[in-house]
Amino acid sequence: MVELVPTLLRQELARLAEADQRLDGRGQWEGRDVSLEVDCLYNAEGSAKVVMGKTIVYAGVKFELRTPWPDRPTQGSLMCGAELRPVAHRKYEPGPPSPESIELGRVVDRGIRESGCIDMESLCIVPGEKVWGVMIDIHVLSDGGNIFDACGLAAIAALRTAIVPAERFDVGEDYKLKVNGTPIMSSFTRVGGRYIYDPSEEEELGGDERIHITLGDEGHLHSLQKGLRGVFTPAEFAEIFEVAHQRCADLRTLVANQEGN
Amino acid sequence: MGGYGDVQLLRDDGLRLDGRKLDEMRPVSIEAGILPAADGSAMVTHGLNVAVAAVYGPMEAHPRKIQRQDRAVIDVRYNMAPFSTGDRIRPGYNRRSREISKVTAEALESVVLVERYPRSKIRVEIEILAAEAGTRCAGITAAAVALADAGIPMRDLIVGVASGKVEDTVVLDLDKAEDNYGQADLPVGILPNTGEIAFLQMDGDLSPDEYNLAMEYNFKAAAEIHEIMVDALKRRYEGGEN
Repeated sequence: MVELVPTLLRQELARLAEADQRLDGRGQWEGRDVSLEVDCLYNAEGSAKVVMGKTIVYAGVKFELRTPWPDRPTQGSLMCGAELRPVAHRKYEPGPPSPESIELGRVVDRGIRESGCIDMESLCIVPGEKVWGVMIDIHVLSDGGNIFDACGLAAIAALRTAIVPAERFDVGEDYKLKVNGTPIMSSFTRVGGRYIYDPSEEEELGGDERIHITLGDEGHLHSLQKGLRGVFTPAEFAEIFEVAHQRCADLRTLVANQEGN
Repeated sequence: MGGYGDVQLLRDDGLRLDGRKLDEMRPVSIEAGILPAADGSAMVTHGLNVAVAAVYGPMEAHPRKIQRQDRAVIDVRYNMAPFSTGDRIRPGYNRRSREISKVTAEALESVVLVERYPRSKIRVEIEILAAEAGTRCAGITAAAVALADAGIPMRDLIVGVASGKVEDTVVLDLDKAEDNYGQADLPVGILPNTGEIAFLQMDGDLSPDEYNLAMEYNFKAAAEIHEIMVDALKRRYEGGEN
């Protein structure tokens, strides 16, 4: 996939956009079907698998006991990381974490952290001595486009099903991690001059800049990110923000249904 | 192998802790073609282990210094997901995964018809999503199915299996407790049609007789897993899907 392909692809995508069409027949704001499975990894304390078109992502939650930061003696910690390993696509090379995977992990991390869905104080066991460190690891197995939304969904779904393994660490009985809310990410890519929701692999290859919006249950913004080369207007943002708002509700319902509550 | 003597691994009725007979392997299920982005892929569930393999290529081998003028090189990466074990694993390569990757690559190069693709590279990515003893074997089995799924010609499939010893008794397919507290582990990669061995490791303590019995168990299990592999590949291409 060198430069010639995207050039032809860009022309085709621009032609389709003109006619308000997409390569795979979807509407401008239409997402692919999302399948979500939770509690699917044996050794993870919480886990989820998300399939969106050709994209497949797993997330697993692990806990560790650690000493709190000196300035926050009663707070535990949350960390979310993503790995774009070479298993996921021909284009990913082995080696240390790429800027792309670091961006991905950090954008997902911010959405979850800033939504306040985890009360850091609730992760304290002995103030100043012992707190829980919660780690969400996201593993992209197949990149078929829009891995951001898939990773965001897998991460929060895994977190919401997590069981704190207190018995294994000899600090009481196991209990369900308290998670107050379901932050959801929505991603948009400019393709053929206009924004579309949930870009496919081809749309990402032949598209321009992307915008990621994470919204909390109350509809508040918790994380924003613009990636790649390109600019947008406030009016364009207002439009995709509205779409994000609607899609969030559907995905939040999907997560709730999977949890069985 | 871990400390022996303090943990009971065989029950009074002669069965193992999970109720298996000595020569009984854990349930295995295989699905081929599960990753849309890859040229070939497979998921192997072996007991509680989950191994996923993706194959990319054959493609141009770069950097050029890894190229071989007369054959393809197989580039294997075996990796355990951070959440695959009891305690989280720090992401990235370690000595264990490098060694497993190396010997797995050499085993696969022994079965793939690498001379058909001079100067090229075949990438095999093995990701362990859940680990409960036996992941390198599950990884080899997954890699073989993924290579076949990618349409890469091979002399035979290769099946990863292991036997070992617990409480002075040879058993097939060690589970986590048996691996931790047992006396020996003998993981092999078997070519089920030719009866050859392309992957071999061992640690612990085995007498020659115990080695022979363990290997006999391994061949028996390899034949069973081979059927499941063939069945997975048939399902992939007979179903009409893709």
